[in-house]
Amino acid sequence: MRRLLSGVLGLCLLGASALTAQTPREIIDRVDRLLRGESSRGTVSMEIVTEHWSRSMEMRIWSLGTDNALIRITAPEKDAGTATLKVGHEIWNYLPRVDRTIKLPPSLMGDGWMGSHFTNDDLVKDSRLIDDYDITIGYEGARDGVPVWEFVLTPKPEAAVVWGRIEEQVRKADLMPVWARFYDDRGNLSRTMTFSGHRTMGGRLVPTRTVVQPADKPNERTTISYRDLEFDIQINPSFFSLRRLQGGGGSGQ
Amino acid sequence: MSARLWWPLAWRNLGRNRRRSVITAAGLAVGYFSVVAMVGWFDGLTADMIANGTGIVTGQLQVHAAGYLPDRSVYQTLGGSRGPTLDELLQRVRSDPAVAAAAPRVYGGGLVSSGAATVAGVFLGVDPERERDVSRLLHTVVRGAAPAPGAREILLGAEMARILGVEPGAEVVVVAPAVDGSLGNDLFIVSGVFQSGLADLDRTFALMPLDALQAIMALEPGRAHEIAALLPDPWQAPVAARRLVAALGGAVAVEPWTALRPELLEYAQLASSWQWIMLVIVFGMAIFGVANTMLMATFERRHEFALLLALGAAPGGIVRSVLYEAIALGAIGLALGAAVTGPVLVWWHNAPPDLTPLFGEFTMIGALVRLRLRVEYPWVMMAQGAFALFATAALAALYPAIRAARVPPADTLAGR
Repeated sequence: MRRLLSGVLGLCLLGASALTAQTPREIIDRVDRLLRGESSRGTVSMEIVTEHWSRSMEMRIWSLGTDNALIRITAPEKDAGTATLKVGHEIWNYLPRVDRTIKLPPSLMGDGWMGSHFTNDDLVKDSRLIDDYDITIGYEGARDGVPVWEFVLTPKPEAAVVWGRIEEQVRKADLMPVWARFYDDRGNLSRTMTFSGHRTMGGRLVPTRTVVQPADKPNERTTISYRDLEFDIQINPSFFSLRRLQGGGGSGQ
Repeated sequence: MSARLWWPLAWRNLGRNRRRSVITAAGLAVGYFSVVAMVGWFDGLTADMIANGTGIVTGQLQVHAAGYLPDRSVYQTLGGSRGPTLDELLQRVRSDPAVAAAAPRVYGGGLVSSGAATVAGVFLGVDPERERDVSRLLHTVVRGAAPAPGAREILLGAEMARILGVEPGAEVVVVAPAVDGSLGNDLFIVSGVFQSGLADLDRTFALMPLDALQAIMALEPGRAHEIAALLPDPWQAPVAARRLVAALGGAVAVEPWTALRPELLEYAQLASSWQWIMLVIVFGMAIFGVANTMLMATFERRHEFALLLALGAAPGGIVRSVLYEAIALGAIGLALGAAVTGPVLVWWHNAPPDLTPLFGEFTMIGALVRLRLRVEYPWVMMAQGAFALFATAALAALYPAIRAARVPPADTLAGR
């Protein structure tokens, strides 16, 4: 979910200077921050495919920094109005059918968000990769004719993280991520994120399509596609309130 | 001398020192009582554990769609478009001679929320009327009542209710992922609170009417995840499961409690293996007591044995005399033991003293254990104990008997 947000959150820090980054730590930090931002607003579609069902959702997203986010589902009609608010490490869900708000308990952070393959933890995790992981270059060269780096991120001993290892491929030319593979603490591949559709949106180059595929269910996936994105919008922290969560949207901000 | 002569002689000898004979026989009787009562109590404890471990929610036998266990996928349901309907399945399960009752269940997982408190729980959709006959969960309601069929009502575990801060009559939000991928949610009224005594159950379980959970999970009516059955004799479950597999066909899996709760079976087997160890320990100790008595008795009668030998009695006869005496002692011991053990077993079987005020209740391998002196009738051990008692008496007398037969007649009679 962080990637979902991060794509929206913006690439505000990616500028010409990024291309001069040299060390693996600097490059990963730039990619990591590329997927964050000061503030953003956007429209996203999410397609979830599981062994038993498939469904698509449309949603509006607002974010401010890494602490605040609001996601409101706009389609299909059955789910329209369902909303998720993140403030700090806490998540609330608004259920329009019963007109009630519930706060998610910490034990559910590992569960999927709205049945997708993004977890609630993806949504609230806000630390920087370079704080939690040691980063080395596993491969540097051309893949399919495209010069890339493949970084290996190993958690620092004291880091409280869920992954045992992360591998991430980044294009050298524009510092765009291509894929990220997440391994559990036993070294088994847990899920793969693939970034594609790199194009300029809201004035910045972003991967507009992210596919998450769990390793143990190869026929399942969640795809998020960004329809439109705006960065560095004017939005106050007070926007991210329970009243707004219930109240239908904040189209003005 | 013939055996007919040695028996009366042995019997009369017991009367020579009645106090000693009675004490020795009482020792054997206490040994018999200890073994039989302890085994009966262990059997009672095991029966209680099986009854509690299977009776509160599991049932003694369960029917699922093939492949439902162990992952409990919500998509693996009984009563689908292919194969028998849920009602037909229920009917067939109930028609098994070992089955007394059967009830359908739907399982789901999700959230229950009230105000700022939200807890994750396991949802069990039940037919309250049928469920009452199969499991005891609905009998453990401590406040309010069980949910009514057709109503949006929910019965919460006591700990879950405490965390949520709700009492019967309160409104809660229930959220559960539906089988179509949507997020099912609805408002429910807390109909009551149950307290099973099992911490996990009281913290994580919430019961609602079958149709209410089917609706929230977007499951078609007529679909369920489980049929749980009550078998008055839990040891019939494996046989009944085999019968039902043959009767229901391959699309369903039938699991007896011995497969669902193997740890309970292992405990029962472990407790059963202890019976032999107890038997050996108790009568092993008794052997030395009886041997000591018999050694004393034969030593006192050295002159008598010497005289008999001098008069031409065969040493084998002396041995038999002492052994017969020990067996007669065993018979008295058994009579005494049975006279005490029988009534006590009947008492402890029908009106067992409750030790929970002294020791409280506790949970062991997922089953609630109440320390009561409830015994099962250990018929096999009663017979084995009787045999062990006679064997103990005879074995204990063997050495004194051989010594008695080896008394040197001339030296003994001369007082040397």
